[in-house]
Amino acid sequence: MLEPIRHSLRRKVILLVLSATVAALTLSALGLVVYDLRAYEQQWTSDLVTQAEILARASAPALAFDDRSTAATDLTLMKVRPQVHAAAIYTRGGDLFATYTRPGAEEIAFPQRPAADGYTIEGDELRLFRRVIEGGETIGTVYLRAAYVPWERLVDYLTILGVVMLASLALAALLSGWLQAAITVPILEVAHTAREVIDQRDYSLRARKTTDDEIGQLVDSFNAMLAEAGRRAEALREADRRKDEFLATLAHELRNPLAPLRNALEILRLSPSDPARAEKARAMMERQVNQMVRLVDDLLDVSRITTGKLAIRKSTTELQATLRDALETVRPFVAAAGHELALDIAAEPICVEGDSTRLAQVFSNLVNNAAKYTEPGGRIEVSLAKEGAEAVVRVRDNGIGLEPKSLASIFDMFVQVDRTLERTQAGLGVGLTLARRLVALHGGSLSVRSEGAGKGSEFEVRLPLAGAILPDSEKVRRADTGEEPRRILIADDNADFANSLGALLSGRGHEVRVVYDGAEALATAARFNPDFAFLDIGMPRVHGYEVARRLREAPGTAACVLVAVTGWGQEDDRQRAREAGFDRHLVKPAAPEDIETILKSY
Amino acid sequence: MNALRRASWRLAVILAAAAASLAQAQRPEATEASVEAAFLYKFAGYVEWSPLAFPSDDSAFVISVMGSEEVAAELAKILPGRSVAGHPVVLRRLRDGESLRGTHLLFVGRMEPARLQAILRAAQQQGALAVTETDRGLELGAAINFVLAADRVGFEVSLEAAEKSGHRISSRMLTVARRVIPKA
Repeated sequence: MLEPIRHSLRRKVILLVLSATVAALTLSALGLVVYDLRAYEQQWTSDLVTQAEILARASAPALAFDDRSTAATDLTLMKVRPQVHAAAIYTRGGDLFATYTRPGAEEIAFPQRPAADGYTIEGDELRLFRRVIEGGETIGTVYLRAAYVPWERLVDYLTILGVVMLASLALAALLSGWLQAAITVPILEVAHTAREVIDQRDYSLRARKTTDDEIGQLVDSFNAMLAEAGRRAEALREADRRKDEFLATLAHELRNPLAPLRNALEILRLSPSDPARAEKARAMMERQVNQMVRLVDDLLDVSRITTGKLAIRKSTTELQATLRDALETVRPFVAAAGHELALDIAAEPICVEGDSTRLAQVFSNLVNNAAKYTEPGGRIEVSLAKEGAEAVVRVRDNGIGLEPKSLASIFDMFVQVDRTLERTQAGLGVGLTLARRLVALHGGSLSVRSEGAGKGSEFEVRLPLAGAILPDSEKVRRADTGEEPRRILIADDNADFANSLGALLSGRGHEVRVVYDGAEALATAARFNPDFAFLDIGMPRVHGYEVARRLREAPGTAACVLVAVTGWGQEDDRQRAREAGFDRHLVKPAAPEDIETILKSY
Repeated sequence: MNALRRASWRLAVILAAAAASLAQAQRPEATEASVEAAFLYKFAGYVEWSPLAFPSDDSAFVISVMGSEEVAAELAKILPGRSVAGHPVVLRRLRDGESLRGTHLLFVGRMEPARLQAILRAAQQQGALAVTETDRGLELGAAINFVLAADRVGFEVSLEAAEKSGHRISSRMLTVARRVIPKA
């Protein structure tokens, strides 16, 4: 019986209400019965005493004047009380004077002599003697025998109790039905919402609140929990998405140097006796390897950040020297982009307790970012000053700036401001995260300000008083070799890759044109009418897809074999390339034999 | 032998009959006079006596008897020490012509009607409640009259006569009366 109840709040509520009802009714009925049985005896005896008194008074004259027939007539008045089985009047001397027996009752043996005043209960009869007193004298005795049947009343009571109990139970069942609806329906609704959330993974669902009681609080808390779970799920998705992007970017960035390396190796193999070419190839390989080393260093720092093992070695450091070191490493990149670098360095030495190498890493990252996110020919200002008890380094540019909404997230791991296809400068999106963490380890702060998109930005490092290594991207001149009479256009913003591929193909006798952006590719193609065009997708100014589309539309290049060369090798990337009009799709680093195969197949 | 048996049988029957008649009698020693005397005293208890009949709280309640020495004698046996409505009871034996003044309850024995009527008229005038034992007692002016029926003493009541004497007879007593003459 308990088993179904354990699993149902509804049944618990019903059981609670019903048992409370039954208990209350039974207890009150018991109390009433006990009270009533006592009251019944008292009431019935006092009633009978009164009866006897009236009879005594009425029959006194008959006794006084010795009139038996009148006495007998008086006794027949008892007919109106059917509970009175028998009655008798005794004379003063104790002799039977008159008797009465209820019609239809069996013969009754009256006591020979009257007893003293009072009553006795014998079986189901109450027997009572009462003296007849007239003028202060006892002139006789009245005797009554009446039914005494508390059991009948008890049975009546139990019958009434039964009926009341049934009615109460019906009412209680109705009430508990209503109660359970008030309690279990909202709870079931919460449970239902929880199931829906789990099934649909939709954290915007909310349980409906219908009451302000404890259940209402439960619904509120449940909804608050859902909101929190929703926020966390969203944060997890976002973190997951960023990690995926990071991995894609990482794969892309790690692959990028591989193609030029392979090309250089091929050049070395083809021209082992040409010292000038060998030297060019060797320098290119060195640059690409350095690029990979930096990427791997960044990766190691990312892992140190995520595992909390990023540490610094502190010593007294003069910031002027640190800043000079940092600028030294980025100056070539800044110069290559054609930016003007304006310095405002305080003359007096400014010292902090810190890790000179790590601080230089922070500064060069900031300047590198400024150069990266500013159109060529921009202006970058770097200042160092003492403000109160802090050393302040500011890096300001007049570049693409930041939307107000990106100001907060820019320091998050794997976030890159410019995610467009035209992204020219590679990076893992960990630089600012790392920089901020490093500054924090020095007890300082790193913040950003921007007036908005296109209005430049300013990064500010504040360090308590007491200083990198990022890419130096240098354009490499084109190199070409010739072999077969094919007209080939190569467009890639990775100059090393473009040049090395160009050199390789021209070395084989092809007529090759190498360009470094989309617009240039279109202009060159219009004049050159190539048979083949190897196009990078992520190019500056006009990206690969657009270039392909326009080449297909132009009459001179409509029949040109278009080959997409990209680091993105996912199926949808290939799909998109086909839609744009590409005939083939190569994933970097493209193997020379693959290119050879393509050239031979058309 | 037969005669003897028949005689003894007859004796047994006679003895049984005698025993039965003895048992049926009101009391073995009760005479008509003694019953009437007892009733007379009891009547006093069922009458609401006019306050005017008692000059003071301690004045006596007077029962007078005229023309029946047997009843007077029986009364004399039972009255000493008794009282009616708080007044001590006094018995007077009256001869014809004696004043009825002060009498509350008067019993008159059997006598010729003319004489009886005169006494009863006087009793009414004196405020005495009169009791007789004559056939047409109530018609002659008595308030209560003893009658003998089936060897038992009973009585009849004239509320009219009682009212004339200034007293009121309790209705409870009327339940036992053989006949009641209502008020005029």
